[in-house]
Amino acid sequence: MVQLDFSLTPEACARLHDALICMKNFSDVVALEARQERLTLSALNLAKSGYASFVLQGPEFFDSYNFTPAPAAGDNGRFTCEITSKALLSVFKGRLFDPRKGDTAIDRCEVSLQDRPNQAQCRLIIKMICDQGVTKTYRLTYESVEVMHALFDKQNANNRWSIKSSYLREFIDYFGPKTEHLDFCFEDHQVTFTSFTEKIVNANREILKHPLQTAVTLNAADFDELSAQAQLHITISVKDFKAIVSHAETLRCQFNAFFSRPGRPLQFQYGSGGMECSFTLMTIQDGRTAPAPVPANTHQMQTRTAKKPEKAPAVQERANTAKKASAQMPPPPVPNTRKTLGRAGTSGTATPSQGVQQRNLDPDSLFVQQDEEDHQWDPANLDEGETLGWDASADNDAFQPGFKDTATPARTASYEAPGPDALEPTQRMSQIKGLW
Amino acid sequence: MRFKASIQNINTFNKFTASIASLGAVAWVRLDENEIRFTIIPEQGTQVWAVLAKDTIFEQYTIQSANNDVINLEVPVVQLQRALKSALNATSANIRLTKKDSLPVLCLTINTVSYRTGVDAFGASSARQDPDAMDDRASSVDFNSSSRERETIVTQDIPVRVLSQSNVDGIHEPRCREPDVHIQLPPLIQLKSISDRFTKLALASKSGTSGNSNSTPRLELSANMHGCLRLSIRTDAMNISTLWTGLQNPDLDPAQVEGGEEGIRHHASTRMRELGSADGKSEEGWATVRIDGRDWGKVMSVGRLSGRVIACFCDDHALILYVFLSNNEDSDDPSVLTVS
Repeated sequence: MVQLDFSLTPEACARLHDALICMKNFSDVVALEARQERLTLSALNLAKSGYASFVLQGPEFFDSYNFTPAPAAGDNGRFTCEITSKALLSVFKGRLFDPRKGDTAIDRCEVSLQDRPNQAQCRLIIKMICDQGVTKTYRLTYESVEVMHALFDKQNANNRWSIKSSYLREFIDYFGPKTEHLDFCFEDHQVTFTSFTEKIVNANREILKHPLQTAVTLNAADFDELSAQAQLHITISVKDFKAIVSHAETLRCQFNAFFSRPGRPLQFQYGSGGMECSFTLMTIQDGRTAPAPVPANTHQMQTRTAKKPEKAPAVQERANTAKKASAQMPPPPVPNTRKTLGRAGTSGTATPSQGVQQRNLDPDSLFVQQDEEDHQWDPANLDEGETLGWDASADNDAFQPGFKDTATPARTASYEAPGPDALEPTQRMSQIKGLW
Repeated sequence: MRFKASIQNINTFNKFTASIASLGAVAWVRLDENEIRFTIIPEQGTQVWAVLAKDTIFEQYTIQSANNDVINLEVPVVQLQRALKSALNATSANIRLTKKDSLPVLCLTINTVSYRTGVDAFGASSARQDPDAMDDRASSVDFNSSSRERETIVTQDIPVRVLSQSNVDGIHEPRCREPDVHIQLPPLIQLKSISDRFTKLALASKSGTSGNSNSTPRLELSANMHGCLRLSIRTDAMNISTLWTGLQNPDLDPAQVEGGEEGIRHHASTRMRELGSADGKSEEGWATVRIDGRDWGKVMSVGRLSGRVIACFCDDHALILYVFLSNNEDSDDPSVLTVS
């Protein structure tokens, strides 16, 4: 009998929401793995080229955390399941945790797992306890599956950099929405991030439809740690990078990257306040630009700002936990185009393009809408289906430019479904004809 | 072929491209020693013929080409605007024509310098979480002042197509008869919100009856030489109109009109001035054009430039809008609208 109960502060709920938004970029389903001391949320994309994991440390992230594994499994037992991210996001909504929103602000969130043989239904029960004595209870179905995690061999990733996440956040909006790949490269005391599209456009006219190619150059001095082989081009997906950086910025923490060479996985890793986030992304193998791998430390440029010595153990500890989190397994020596990943249970169905679309529509998205006052000058969207009708809300304070009359037209209703007073027809007209 | 310039007025350039981006996807840009012309000729709708003096947006302007130092380009407006948008906070921005992978691009190089202390949006909160970080920053302020500045360089490559002179020889600004009425338009935000409202109303009433939403409603815009402008919409069910009075009818410059003083005396607008009244109640003396509601909404987006807009009405034929950038009287940006 597995038992899992934990409770969250409103702040933790908000952080959970941010993490879910970020994971949605990877997959439609979120995998949960509960262990004695921590809860891991992870998402693996359809192509299995991107994997996101958020390790929530029991005592630090949660108000209270209590997990009792099935007796047969012993102390190392764990509980794994998958839940659609849509369901979780509808529970952990964005602005729900804003204390300024008096009535709906929540006080506490309690989650418990209902997975007992004597109960008919297995559910994850989430209770939002609000200020006004209101308790909202959500019962989510889950699928009990084995969760797979991406492996990343940090020992062999001899290139790394570390930078404040806010520095990255400043420029990710420059990358156009239509570009696919992001290349970064260290050269001449500078790191250049370039977003580009590989589509080869032949038709002369089509050239103009090519998206912008954007390059952002940062000084090596802006990095807190930079130890990378010069002129090594690492290419990942722009979309993933944007989602990760946007999330990292909400935690306001140091952003670390570990990588070896093109065609091998890369890992971004950061964390604060009991939330450890790591992303393992496949990098694109590119024969043109990659120089032959050189032995470590021969052509490496080391810029490392002085760090307080007492910080080092913390970093070490974090690395250890990260190591613990992913099972140790050396990657195959031959560079693969696919990284060694276990099979995920039921995979999501979102294609990348759908993901982008949903993200744009999502008002709670982490992506800052580039709303400017300039907006009012844009041509009015006349296709938004505005219809005339009466505003039944009698809310005279706010002028509403458009509203929808959702009532069914009375006339059709009377034909389709006669009211309770009307008599139902008893016979078909065609049947009557034969009677006389 | 060389073109290189630094952009001195990024905000204006950005707003300008934003306002023409709604009217067409691709602009013909003609660069020469003195001015930059943007021309948009969509298959349907409003044409834009804009002229910007080079000093309005550029400085340190260098241009060279075999064709009398004239360069003709086809530029995707949306990409250009997106690139300019990323330059809004720049300390400096340069644009040059170059080739990358044997494809011509307009390369926009944007330098942004930010200061560590200023940029740390999370300065206070991170300091709370992590006292070490604050110590780090404090020491860098005290002892290592050179590292405080952070310089970021962003380059945006806009794909372009170079046009040869023979390609553009056939493109001419449309000629139009002398206008019957010319008038300075009221603040465009008023005009835009009212006309958008009208268009929506007409669309709604139309879809209520026939469900044919393909054809857009026609707005009727009329003006007289006594400072009156009337915007109206007529459907089977309704007839609404808005009237502005007390607007300016600028005087014509004899030097610009064919025939000088004599030409003005016989000018259509002089005859129109004799008709109608300043309260707009008289039915005489109006020049009227019917314009596509959606198209008009797109044209109105030029209002973000907050320029002075003169509308020239050729009764039942065409409407031409001249937009003058307010900061510089000489540099005019005539957006020419020809809808009948």
